[in-house]
Amino acid sequence: MKGPLMLLIALQDVDEMIQEARDPEKQSVMKKLGFKVTNLDALVSSRKKLADQLDKRTLTLYERMRTRYGRAVVPVEGQICLGCFMNLPTRNIGASTERKDRVEVCENCGRILYWL
Amino acid sequence: MAVSGLAPYCHEKLFLPELKAREKDAALVEMVDHLVASGRVKAHGVILNTIRERERIWPTAIGRGAAVPHGRSLVVPELIILFARSSAGIDFGAEDGEPVRLVFLILAPYQDKENRYLPALGKVVELVANEATRQQLFEVKSFGEFMRIVEGLPA
Repeated sequence: MKGPLMLLIALQDVDEMIQEARDPEKQSVMKKLGFKVTNLDALVSSRKKLADQLDKRTLTLYERMRTRYGRAVVPVEGQICLGCFMNLPTRNIGASTERKDRVEVCENCGRILYWL
Repeated sequence: MAVSGLAPYCHEKLFLPELKAREKDAALVEMVDHLVASGRVKAHGVILNTIRERERIWPTAIGRGAAVPHGRSLVVPELIILFARSSAGIDFGAEDGEPVRLVFLILAPYQDKENRYLPALGKVVELVANEATRQQLFEVKSFGEFMRIVEGLPA
C-alpha cells in the first residue's frame, strides 16, 4: 500500500472494524450469521502499525476529524464532498486527476477527501 | 426455491469458476486482483488489507465447504459480490475442517445509506446453507448457470 491517502483509508477501515467488533449489537448479528470475533487484539495491533506509518501531522488531522465527525475520510462524488454535501471548489477538483494520493481536505468541513 | 435477491450484485466479470490459488491468502489476493481488473474498485492494497484483517478477527469459513470473506471499505463504490470456486478445495481454517470450494467475497461501502450489506451477507449464508444449492454451486461452470442458481430458477 503506497501513499498517505491509502494508509489513511486503510486505517479508517480498520477503525470501523474495531468499532463494529466492540459493538455488542453488531457482534450478535454477525454471530447469528456464523461469524465469531476471535482476535480483536491482533486488529488493534494492526491499527498501530498502520498509524505508525503516517507522519504526525497527517495522523493528528485524521484523529481530529474522526473525533469531530466519526469518519475522517469521506468520498467525493460529482464534485460533492459526501461528508458535508457541499460542492468542492476548483482547487479541490484538480486533486482528482493530478494529485491522486495527496491528502486533500474539504474547505468547508475539513474532512479528508477520496475520489471514488 | 425462493429468489435470493442477490442477482443485482452479481456480474459476469465477478465470476471466477476456478481459482488457481491453493491456499487462503493467495485466494484472497487472486480475488482482489480479479476485482481490480474488472474495474469495480481501484485501491487494491486497501481492499486486500481490509479483507485480510477482517479474516483474522472474524474467520469467514462457515463450514460445509463455503467461505464468505466480507468487509466494508471507503474505496468500494457499491455493494459487490464476487463468486469463486475451487474444485480442489482450499484450507480456510473452517471449524468442521472441510476445505473450501465456494467463496463469496462481499464488499460494500460504509456510506451505503440503504444498508444492503448485512441483508446480502445473510442471503449468501442462507444460500450456501442449503444442501441442494451448495451441491449445484460445487459443479457450476458458467455465469449463466450460476445466475440461475442464485435466482432460484430451475437449471
